[in-house]
Amino acid sequence: MPLLKVEHVSKSFNDHIAVDDISFTLDAGVVYGILGPNGAGKSTTIRMIMNILVPDKGRINLFGASMNEDLKNRIGYLPEERGLYPKMKVADVLTFLGELHNLTPADARQRAMRWLERLDLAGHAHQKVDTLSKGMQQKVQIIGSLLHDPSLLILDEPFSGLDPVNTNLIKDIMLELKNEGRAIMLSTHMMETAEKLCDRILMINHGHLVLEGPLDKLQQRYGSQSLQVEYNGDAAFVRELPMIQKADIYANYMEIRLKDAAMRKEFLKIIADKLDIISFKSQKSSLNEIFIREAGETHA
Amino acid sequence: MHKIFVFIKREYRETVLKKSFIILTILTPILMISFTVVPALLLEMESSQPTVINVYDPSNTVAASLPRMLDDTLKTGQPRYIFNIISSAKAGNNLIPAQKDLVTREVIDGFLYVPPTVMDSNVVRYYTRNAGDFDVSIGLKKTVAAIITEKRLLSSGLQPEKIKKLTHTIDLQTIKINKSGKESESDFESEYFSIFVFVMILYMTLIMYGTGIMRSIVQEKSNKVVEVILASARPVQLMTGKILGQGLVGLTQYILWATVGIAIRFAGAQITAFDTNVLHFSTATMIWFVIYYVLGYFLFSALYAIVGVASTTDQEAQQASMPITLLLIVPILVLTMLVKNPDSPLIITLSYIPFFSPIIMFARISIGDVPFWDIAASIALLITTIIVLINITAKIFRVGILMTGKRATLPEILRWLRS
Repeated sequence: MPLLKVEHVSKSFNDHIAVDDISFTLDAGVVYGILGPNGAGKSTTIRMIMNILVPDKGRINLFGASMNEDLKNRIGYLPEERGLYPKMKVADVLTFLGELHNLTPADARQRAMRWLERLDLAGHAHQKVDTLSKGMQQKVQIIGSLLHDPSLLILDEPFSGLDPVNTNLIKDIMLELKNEGRAIMLSTHMMETAEKLCDRILMINHGHLVLEGPLDKLQQRYGSQSLQVEYNGDAAFVRELPMIQKADIYANYMEIRLKDAAMRKEFLKIIADKLDIISFKSQKSSLNEIFIREAGETHA
Repeated sequence: MHKIFVFIKREYRETVLKKSFIILTILTPILMISFTVVPALLLEMESSQPTVINVYDPSNTVAASLPRMLDDTLKTGQPRYIFNIISSAKAGNNLIPAQKDLVTREVIDGFLYVPPTVMDSNVVRYYTRNAGDFDVSIGLKKTVAAIITEKRLLSSGLQPEKIKKLTHTIDLQTIKINKSGKESESDFESEYFSIFVFVMILYMTLIMYGTGIMRSIVQEKSNKVVEVILASARPVQLMTGKILGQGLVGLTQYILWATVGIAIRFAGAQITAFDTNVLHFSTATMIWFVIYYVLGYFLFSALYAIVGVASTTDQEAQQASMPITLLLIVPILVLTMLVKNPDSPLIITLSYIPFFSPIIMFARISIGDVPFWDIAASIALLITTIIVLINITAKIFRVGILMTGKRATLPEILRWLRS
């Protein structure tokens, strides 16, 4: 049984359609990436999962039940818009957040101290939040979403504003939680990060689902469609071949995109007959390339 | 329930431990003490010396009787006034300038000159450095006038004793009769003063704690902390926690102030021998005060919460909350009228309207006896309004709490209500 099941969910604000008929499922032990440019509908989707916004259409199931307030205690949430009480002490804010998730004050405080230790913030436990740097505040807020040992962790742009050292620290924690069998949903517009962390991805643009599936399969599929060939001879005929989707042909070099990866072998046979091939390369595409290809536009 | 409690705890702890709360809580009683006790103490210290007055009265019209008639004593038992009568025999040409000089050089406090023509001109002169000391000048005026009147009566052949008897002033005793016919002698001035004080406390605390809630909602919105909270609790829980938490803060402050007030009444009276017992109130008044404060607090905090949730900055909220402040000002405006005629139709009508009743009904109850059904009706109306209003606020809260960027317009708020 999937941990999270989103079925045909839509949401619009006034006349603007923010999310249009999105469906996906999320299983335990998986890092699931929601990718898309700014304004694609990632945060709206997440807010609907969190029951902060109510979908206009569609259904959301969590832990086998429809979303209700009790389930919130099993979810850890880092919103895109960060915010803590600036005048409260770090340890007090974390205790408060833990208590909101039904921990006892003593337990919440103890857990908070353990995490602060782990994230190098133990020395700041009794300082007020607004005396901390942006990055530190962000780490405090990440701790806030982890305190109550959630089965599902939803992180909206968790790395924005973090330096490389802290980024790695958080990545390690995420992978560790994944290996413990928790589900992690990671929303980001940074494809490179998603590439390294995610098992499965969902790409959305303008509220529409662009692409969904396991990352390695997607990359293979798209990767093997792209070919780069160095050759000697006249390659003009390549343009006319039926399996070609797009061809950039230069004097001794060409970049080819096939309609289907399965046609690679046939394509090779044809050009090997007519050209003197020096090198041949077929690469995994980056998520960035895949996105540009599918959404047909660049993104921020 | 558990989450509401967590919100109450945070709200209470963070507000009560804030510097501004501690300062305000300590400073208010200190100011109250300084405004009431300190001037009295100063006055006492100031007048612990007798006032020395030289009197020159060549026709000897008042000089002989003056010391006998103005024989007040100070706390120390010394006479309040010391009169030195200057005999006409010693008087030279320069007597008046010389006496004035004594006043300027602070040898004496004042110089009273009674011209021989006083019986016709009706004028006496009092030279002093301190013309603002009305105690002395009024005392002198009254006494000199009395002596001269007596002289005139005597010289026209009438007996002063008889005149005194015939012209004795009448003492008006005011007795309050309530509707059940019970009579009570009352000190109206201090009673009205007490009502005024209580009404002002109601007015100020309702505004203070109402705007407190408003501001804390605006802050949570602008801190963006609200989304983290909504990830684990419902907006209604947050709102309820805030209103109850701030309400407890208010109650804490009240209890602290009341304790200080009672302490001053007991200890203060002993230390200064000054009548600090200026507030006259009964236990019943206190109970009504608390009931109407609590009800008024719920009503107005719900209103202020709506403004808070619809605004994005403190300034916006401040402006948008003006109408609420006006609702609170109305009872203050009609207060004088209320004291004069608590049974006027306007006052009675206002005392039923929930937005005015916390202050007006309380004032009516403390002045005269209001029929039980009037009170019950006003409280029932108030509670109904509070329930309806809290539901409306909760609805507006649910949508408005996540809204950022710009202040919501009234049509927008109405749309939230329907959604």
